[in-house]
Amino acid sequence: MEILIIGAVRGALYSLIAVGFVLIFSVGGILNLAHGTYYMLGAYLTYIFYTLVLGAGGINLLILSVLLAVLSVGIFACLMYYILLRPYIHSLTYVMVMTLALALFVSEVMSLLFGVSGTSVPSLIEGSMTIGGVKIINQQLILIPITALILPSLWYFLKRTKMGQSIDAVSQERTGAILMGVSVETATLITTGLSATLAALAGALIAPVSSVVPEMWLFPLIKAFAIAILGGMGSLVGSIIASFLIGYAEVLSSFLINEQLTELVALVVIILVLIFKPSGIMGYKLR
Amino acid sequence: MNPLKIKSLSKRFGGLQALDSVSFNVLPGEIVGIIGPNGAGKTTLFNCISGFLPFDSGSVILFGQSVEGRKPYQIVNLGLTRTWQLVKPFFGMRVMEAMMVPSFCRRALRKHSSKKEMRENVIKILDEMGLGEKIWQEVDNLNQGELRLLDIARALVTFPKILLLDEPFSGLSHKEIENISHVARNLNSQGLPVVIIEHRLRELMKLVQKVVVVSFGKKIAEGSPEVIVKDANVIKAYLGERRTKIGLA
Amino acid sequence: MNLPKKSRFSLKNQSPFGLAIFVAMAVFSLLSDNIFYIEVLKVAAIYAIFAMSWDILTGYTHEVNFGFAFFIGGAGYLSGILNSIFSFSPYVAIPLAALAAGVSGIFIGYLTLRLKGPYFSMATLAFASILFKLSFIFYEITGGEEGISGLDVFADDPTKDFFVAWGVMLAVYLILTFYAQSKHGIILKAIRADEDATQSAGINTAYYKIEAFAISGFMAGIGGGVFAHSQMHIGPTMLSGYISIIVVLLAMIGGMGTIVGPLFGAIALTILNEYLRVVEEYRIVIYTGILILLIYLAPEGILNLKFVKKSRILTFILLGERKPV
Repeated sequence: MEILIIGAVRGALYSLIAVGFVLIFSVGGILNLAHGTYYMLGAYLTYIFYTLVLGAGGINLLILSVLLAVLSVGIFACLMYYILLRPYIHSLTYVMVMTLALALFVSEVMSLLFGVSGTSVPSLIEGSMTIGGVKIINQQLILIPITALILPSLWYFLKRTKMGQSIDAVSQERTGAILMGVSVETATLITTGLSATLAALAGALIAPVSSVVPEMWLFPLIKAFAIAILGGMGSLVGSIIASFLIGYAEVLSSFLINEQLTELVALVVIILVLIFKPSGIMGYKLR
Repeated sequence: MNPLKIKSLSKRFGGLQALDSVSFNVLPGEIVGIIGPNGAGKTTLFNCISGFLPFDSGSVILFGQSVEGRKPYQIVNLGLTRTWQLVKPFFGMRVMEAMMVPSFCRRALRKHSSKKEMRENVIKILDEMGLGEKIWQEVDNLNQGELRLLDIARALVTFPKILLLDEPFSGLSHKEIENISHVARNLNSQGLPVVIIEHRLRELMKLVQKVVVVSFGKKIAEGSPEVIVKDANVIKAYLGERRTKIGLA
Repeated sequence: MNLPKKSRFSLKNQSPFGLAIFVAMAVFSLLSDNIFYIEVLKVAAIYAIFAMSWDILTGYTHEVNFGFAFFIGGAGYLSGILNSIFSFSPYVAIPLAALAAGVSGIFIGYLTLRLKGPYFSMATLAFASILFKLSFIFYEITGGEEGISGLDVFADDPTKDFFVAWGVMLAVYLILTFYAQSKHGIILKAIRADEDATQSAGINTAYYKIEAFAISGFMAGIGGGVFAHSQMHIGPTMLSGYISIIVVLLAMIGGMGTIVGPLFGAIALTILNEYLRVVEEYRIVIYTGILILLIYLAPEGILNLKFVKKSRILTFILLGERKPV
């Protein structure tokens, strides 16, 4: 039972992170290696807003801090895209190197500001619940309803609204979308913001119950990539499924074998998938 | 021994039968043209023969040896070299450097006793192609016609026993086409069998001795150019039911 | 017809600039009393080894290797373990470790053969991350966070120590330059331009790609081993994403695909890094920031800048290429 719920929590968390990653790749052709940085900034900025700016005054301010943090990350991402990436967007090498360098830079800045040991962020919901005889921390639990709210909204946005549909069009058939008058630039910009806010939200929500350290950008990035290639780089549904698959795989391996091996799961997945089935479980073609 | 024997070659892509039991031979010293409407499977044919695409059934026998399962570079080393429909230049290198690449293949290395000899051969080929002046130019600076000639020149460095040219005339001016036809005819008169896929029928018919016509993956005709242009099936394949003379002009 | 001689290996075809760097470093170390500066040059030399080794693969195939820490840290740790636990001399441990790195290069090269672009890059990153994680899991052997200390140096005199690194750097430079100008380099460039066309030229592209990977790994392994023993310590930083990306940046800023470029980039930027010690607290942040700025301004690298390529004089001095008239 515990496995069921914790796995679901993980899956939900990962899907928030992975969906944005896949989206910006299929829309903008950008392999954003700074994606994990958005996740990290979501956590750190929540702390900054709450403790330093707003003065740590209760849950309403905490929620406000989360929102501000998420928004700032979105803006930051758009700025980075506009200033640093756009001029050389055609070169995948440049994009990869620049985003990775950025990730490193931000990580070092955080290290400078907050030191190497963890920073603690207060929980939105304190305490824990007991479900089916198992004790689950509330802060982890809220990820499930929040994700259950956000993902369908995202789907609705992409499939039903005009802006979303143009983004969807670009991700599926770029040239066709251009011919239909869709502005790829705008689509990419919006997707960047969207993708960053989702990752930041994940980071902000999980921050109270995980270690907020300057290195926390690397492994979410690796997991996002593992999920993306497992689910197919172009498929949102695939990445959601893959998120849960990996989430459960990690939880299972931690319970059954060894806790330390959980981090290796995503890595092994990457290696195995790339070597044996590069098109992922949904069968999308390699770009 | 026949340079190339193709028997019942078939290839399927999902729902599409790209090649349907195609058979034909290339006789020693022959120059053969392969024609057919767009999407007929001609380039697929080349890809299967040259090892870039595995085929489902049938056989491809090159000078008595089967090429099934072999990698493209191995087939080159057996004596079959092909060029591509779209020019494939080695951007970022000089012409001479680009020409050296095929000289490093096993086949070419075997045919030469020294690096000096190899270099001289490369220069000779470039001269014959009319690219002698461009030897130290960057490949990026050549025009389309020159790039095509370079593709063929590179193919010759591998000492092919049979040469496959995929749409060598496409994108070229009349004069450039004449140039390449001349080169092909020359090579053939020295004994090299050549197989050419083309859409520029007028120019092709003047060059080849035998024509194989492919449509929707099937071979629908084979014969001399004079016979083929009058063949009802061929005309139908290209132009639908209307009867129009393709003509030798 | 008047043809320039095809590039056979000779001093004539070397980059004057590159050779000048070697001479300058050697002369400085012999004349200077300042141990600190000599140490800096030593570290710079080792980073140059890393950058050049990285360049022979990525610069010539354009598949970006993000997991170079695998070879650097892997060989560093292996050499450290051989030295501290099994008492091998560094002169034996380092080549052995480098050999292991080279063999893993064959292995990883084979596994990543069919991968392109982002998939190749992430796979290399994954391999390095796996090794990184493993070093913590097996902390009894690797020392976990702390790493392994007390490794043997080459010599007690810092100048002699520097010259070991310098000598290795020179050897690596000459070997890689020779390799790059030989048929191996030309074939790699051809593969970079068009792999199908290279296959059509009768070349076994898989072989050459794997070979480049192995050589890249071997050289990096030598560098990693030399680093470990020159610092008398090897720690998880050498397996981290940090070292991987720093090597990428140093090589790219210098100029990919030239060997001299990464040599220059690594040495110049490592010296810069040391200069920044005046603001030690902010040093890493400023350093990384500068690297980002430089990559933004010159994505192809300094030696590949358009104005360098257009100028015959500069192309000769910096890259050693004589352009025929």
